[in-house]
Order: sequence, then structure tokens, then C-alpha cells
Amino acid sequence: MNPVPLDKLVPPHVRGFEAYIPSKPDEVLKKLYGCSRLFRLNNNENALGPPPAARSVIDRFPSSRASVYPSGDAYPLRCKLADKFGLDPDQILVGNGANEVITFAIKAFCREGDNIITADKTFAVYEWVAEFSGYQARLVPLADFGFDDEGMLERIDERTKILFICNPNNPTGGFWDEKKIRGFLERIGGRQIVIIDEAYAEFMEAKDYPDGISLIGTYPNVVVFRTFSKMYGLAGLRIGYLVGDLEVVNIIRRTCVVYSVNVLAQEAARAALDDGEHVLRTREMIRQGKDFLIRELNLLGLSYIHGGGNFMMIHLPMSDSLAYRKLMTRGIMVRTMTGFRFPNYIRVTVSKMEAMEAFIEALEGILREGNT
Amino acid sequence: MLKQDKKVLLSVPLDNAFVSVATSVVENAAAALGLGRSEALSLTLSAEEIFTYLCRVGGADQTVTICCTGGVYYVQTDFEFSVKDFDMRAFNITAKARFDDEAGLQEMGLLIASRSVDRFQILEKKGQGMRLSLIKEKVYPPGGEESADTRASISRWTLKRPHAEELKLFSLLVKAHHSGEILPEFFEYPGKVIDMVASGAYQASVALSPEEALAGGILWHWMGERTVECFGPYVFNVTDAPSLSEALIEACLSTIAKTPAVGLIVRFASRHLPRAHFEPLGTLSLTTKAGRKIRMTAYFRQLLEDPGLSVWVHPVLKDFLEKEYARLVLPRNIRGVTDKGETRHRHSVLSSAFVRSQSQVTLRPLRYGADSQANLKAHIRLFHEEGIRNVFFSMDLGIPWQVGFIPFLLEAGFSPRVILPHAGRGDMLLFQWEKQGK
Repeated sequence: MNPVPLDKLVPPHVRGFEAYIPSKPDEVLKKLYGCSRLFRLNNNENALGPPPAARSVIDRFPSSRASVYPSGDAYPLRCKLADKFGLDPDQILVGNGANEVITFAIKAFCREGDNIITADKTFAVYEWVAEFSGYQARLVPLADFGFDDEGMLERIDERTKILFICNPNNPTGGFWDEKKIRGFLERIGGRQIVIIDEAYAEFMEAKDYPDGISLIGTYPNVVVFRTFSKMYGLAGLRIGYLVGDLEVVNIIRRTCVVYSVNVLAQEAARAALDDGEHVLRTREMIRQGKDFLIRELNLLGLSYIHGGGNFMMIHLPMSDSLAYRKLMTRGIMVRTMTGFRFPNYIRVTVSKMEAMEAFIEALEGILREGNT
Repeated sequence: MLKQDKKVLLSVPLDNAFVSVATSVVENAAAALGLGRSEALSLTLSAEEIFTYLCRVGGADQTVTICCTGGVYYVQTDFEFSVKDFDMRAFNITAKARFDDEAGLQEMGLLIASRSVDRFQILEKKGQGMRLSLIKEKVYPPGGEESADTRASISRWTLKRPHAEELKLFSLLVKAHHSGEILPEFFEYPGKVIDMVASGAYQASVALSPEEALAGGILWHWMGERTVECFGPYVFNVTDAPSLSEALIEACLSTIAKTPAVGLIVRFASRHLPRAHFEPLGTLSLTTKAGRKIRMTAYFRQLLEDPGLSVWVHPVLKDFLEKEYARLVLPRNIRGVTDKGETRHRHSVLSSAFVRSQSQVTLRPLRYGADSQANLKAHIRLFHEEGIRNVFFSMDLGIPWQVGFIPFLLEAGFSPRVILPHAGRGDMLLFQWEKQGK
């Protein structure tokens, strides 16, 4: 059999793209790094897990239903979300995690030669999806750890189709308030799609944090992303959604892969929405964890960045990737930030106190050892 | 900017009748791609010898593909072929001409070919034949001197990609301000540095004051598919050297973040290297002409979260590797390789990369063979006779057959010194020749 002529078959934008390699399963990592327990503080998961109502759905899920296709477009969940936000169910599209709805939106609006605009130091999936789809990702440096509105506006040209704003920004936690976001949308004037990624919206307690969904009526070019992976603790089931103006969503629907969200994820997400207590409990855990971290980091003399969301960035006096390896040997998994273009920073998920105490103890240990 | 993507391609039967076709293509391509007359002729001679040899050992029904690629500061000529009996032995620098038999005369051509170029690479493509690459570099005039003004005066600067004149000055200032350090040889030739950057193979960032005075700079290039090597950062006349050196390293890091790069390696660290960004890997020593030993610490910075890796090792070095990997906190699955008497190639092949100005040579294994131990000894003997003061051996721990050299290296007086993580198919292990072995 002749070798596959990949040089001829693979388009240049795919050939030049580096695949993202996710971390290995916990058991493999524990063996590699020789640790007996592992606190996962790398993916901003909710340590409280799913709300009790969602847990109950998962626990009681009858295996016989695994042979039956789910609702192809998550109709019951969309109805429930529509009730919650006062929308038409057709203004909502559900995907296999927010990553999938990012792909739907980019595919719907971009063609060869088009570009998207986002920040250089933000959630990388907007940039990745654009680039491996053959579209240019224009990356604007952050200003004071937040998205730079002026910089983004300056980069717009006639081939710009989408501007992505991560609000609050992952990994810095910085966010735009309502005044800033409205000012930005006014200057866009509806000429491009503005996607507001609100993956961490449910964690936000700041009074001036804007609700992107409420802006859609005034600005029909706004599309909002949300996820059940963070606050609602359903990351393992992969489910997220987008909300937009009816006409805009009808366009995005054309690129949407139906039946991609499994039945368990749909039903657990529907149940999760009923549990307001879970949000309050999680916020309390985050407050307690952040207070503890801030106090301890100050004692260690380390600088940090935090804002919205269940995470903090910490600046280390050593290579973040070396810190990662050393922390792993102590059973702590964090996210290195060099890949986000923040060298020597780590991002740590704010979690339960047991994990936070273990993290600080491990951090103290590796700082004592230094770079050797 | 010039880019290294100009190619001349020829597919030609392995028939002596086509020798002049092959050589005229290589000669004209080499000249068109920028080599001087003398270097172009050397490359042509080398190509002629390779082609003639292939005609002898191959069949006239076979073809060879010859590809000349311009790299701005060098020209590379690749031969791709499927000849089974290609004997690479002549590519050992120790190979000598033999006139006593026909085979000896045939290899004479390969010997000439290997000596007429600056570097060569041999790649056996599983089931798809072989690629032999001949690399000839342009010759550049030395850069001369620039006096070092050591008064710190620049307090503000901005970073930018340098143009040719800035690179020329940068090279001169590196030599002037960092004269006490071990520097890469290319800084002797500013024109070469300009072409290296123009080719796209190297990238640079420099700092300019508001008055456009050069405050410092850094240079980097890809060492393989997953590793970037940087040179510097070099800092001149600034009031806050640590801030500038950190900014230069971060400029390099922000360029290579989100690329396939796994690690950044610094073998030629300047005194301004911001240590907090790096991990020390180990130390090599360079012996100067006066007999003084200069220690060179190699540094590393991983760019991704280490996913773990399997490495191969001969049992005699297992303890060393276990300790080193524990010290470096690198998760590795160390797998043993032993010789069980399996049939080997008759002849081993080692490539020799020289840095003449530092009296330095690095050996790399191209093929393991039944004569590996004798071949290694012959190389050491030759370097000793030629007065080469600094001899290194670079081994890819991701390639099992390479570790077969380990017991012979230890016996010949080499010591394992530095692990370069992810620098090859696996980690690279650098050995240094310390003393005459048994």
C-alpha cells in the first residue's frame, strides 16, 4: 500500500497547526509523578460537583435509555432556558460544551480571507478554531489585564466577522462593565458579530457585571456563550449553549451539528438550572478559598491577579512549568500560563479548603527549593 | 524578508549518462541560491561523487530526486533514492581512502563528497528509501571590532524586530560587551547573522533607546521540531539590565508560546540570563587554547506541562539517569536496551560537527554497527592527534539503537553531562570527553 500523500491532501492551515494535547488521565499522571492523591486545580472545575438535583438525575439514569437518541436539538433544555431568560427557545443553541458552539459560530460567519478579533491572552479556543479552519485570528494585547476595546476596534477591517470578548476574562478575571460593553457595541454599530463568552457569569457578584443576554434585544449582533461545565459542575458531560437574536441564531443553526449532546447531559443541565442554592454555596466556597489564598500569598510575598471567576493567577519567582512538575510530585495540578503568554504565572482553581491548604503547603515547599 | 523556500528539483535516472545533467543543475542552482563560486563548486563536486556512486551501486532503471534548497546563508542539496547497498561508512570523518580494491575506490567518491561540504545528514525513511542531505554554507568576511562603551546610560527602550544594519551592529556589540563569555561562532560574521535572520530560520528581537541606540537583543532558532534554542539575552549600556533581559526573554517566549515548541534551551547563556525563568540542566566545560577550563551551564525552560516520556538507556547508565531525572523533576519511563547478539550493520557512522574557533567537535550517531566501539575510538584518536580540545557526543534517548554507544563512550573516557529535554525524538543526552579511556 502506498503511503498516504499527506503533503497533497492536507491544507496548509491544518499542516501548520499544532494539535492540543490534553493532560493524561489522573491515574497515569499519579504514576508518572509518583503521588498518591491529586487535587485538580487546573481546569476551573467546581469542587462541589453538580447541584443535588442534577446528581439525582445522573444517579437515577436508567441504562436502557442509552440506546435511544437524545433530543437532537436539546429541545426540552432550550425551553427551560428560554423560560429562565424570557426568550424564544429558538434563540438558543445547545452544543457539546461551549467549545462546540464556538465552532458553530465561526463556521456560520467566516469564509476564506475573513478574520476574527480577540485578545492575545485569553481562552485559546477562539484563536484555535479560527486558525485550524483557515481564518486569521487577530490578537490584541490586553490592557491592564483586561480586553482592550480601543485596540480591538482599531484592528477591524472589511473582512472582520466576529469579535470575541471573554467576560470575565480567563485567565485574568478582568471584566467589562455594562457601560464599557455598551459603548463598544455602539461603536461596532452592528457591523460585526460580537460574541460575549460568559463561561464564568454565574460566579460574578460584582454589581456592575453586565448580563450579556439582556443586551441582545438592543444589539442583535450580540451572541452570548454560557456553559454548564463551570458553576454547574457538569464538565464531564460536556454541555454549553449560545443565545442570540432569532435571525442570527437561525443562521448559526445551519452549521450546528445536531444530536451532539447526549441525553444525560441535557437532563442533568435541565435539573441543574433549578438549584439556586448551589450557586450560593459555590460562591461562598470561592469567597472563602480566595480570602485564604490572598492571605497566604501575601505572607509568601507573591503577587497575584484575580477578578471574576473561580480562579486566580499567581506570579512565581520561577518557571511556571517547573513549578507545575514540582507541584505534581506533591499531588497538586495547576495550569501553567506560558502558553497563555504569561510566563512564570500559574492559574489555580479556587476550590475547597482542603485543596487550598494542600496547594499553599506544596507551594511553600517548592519555593523553598527554588529553581534547582 | 528573504525566506528559505526557493527550491530547484530534478528527477533523474541513475545512469552515468546523466552525470553532467545532475552536476550542472546543482552548480547553477547553488550559484543562483547565493553560494560563492568556490563553495558552489565544492557542493557540485560533492554532488557529482554522490551521483556517480549511486549509479555504480544502483540500477539504471532507478531514479534519484535531487533537490537544492536555498537557506540564504547556506544551500542544501538532498538526494532521495532507494538504493539498497548504499554504504555510509565513508561519511565517518575517520574514513580513509583505500586503493587496494574496487570497493575502496568506490568509497573514495563518498569520502570526497563528505569532506567537500560543511554538514551532512542521512535519514533512512522506513520503507521509502533514504535521504542524504549535503549542506554548504556561504563564506562571510569577519566583522571586525566595535569598542564597548560600558557607561550605563540607556534607561528607556522599546523592543522591535531588527533590520539588517541593526543586526550588524548588534553582532559587533555582543562581541564588544560580552567578550569574556563563550559566544556562538556566528557573531564573528555579522553578515551571516543577517542572512540567518533573513532566512527565517533564526529570529531576533532588539531593544532601542528613544534615540535609537542599541540597548540589547536576543536571537533564537528551532533546534528540531519541538525545541527552540536562544542566544543571549545580550544587554549593553542600560541602567536596568535585569528588566531588559527579562523583557527580551519574554519577547522570545511570547513568540514561541502556542507553537509546537515544548522547551527553550540556552547553551550559550549570557551573564544577563534571568535565572528565574530557567532551570539549570547541567554543565559542560570548554578548554581554551591557554588550557583554562570555562564552565558552561545549559539552561532550560519548559513551555508546556510535561506529559511524560519514555527514554531508552543502557543498564550501565540507568542509575545516572534516574538521579538526573529526579533532580530535574522530569517524569520519565526509563526503558533498558541490551545487546542480545542480534545482527547489526557492519559499519557504524558518526557525524562530526566542528566549531573550529573553539576547538570543539560534537559527534552524533547516524548508524550503529558491529564496529561501533572501534569507530568511536578512531574518532577520539583523530581528534586527539588534531589537537581538538573539546569533544562532545550527542545522543537521542528516544532512539533505542543510539544508546548502544553508551558503554563504548564510558570506556573511551566520556562522561554524561547534560540532558536536554525533548530536544530530539526523546531527550538528548550530551556526553563530554574527559580523558583518554581504556
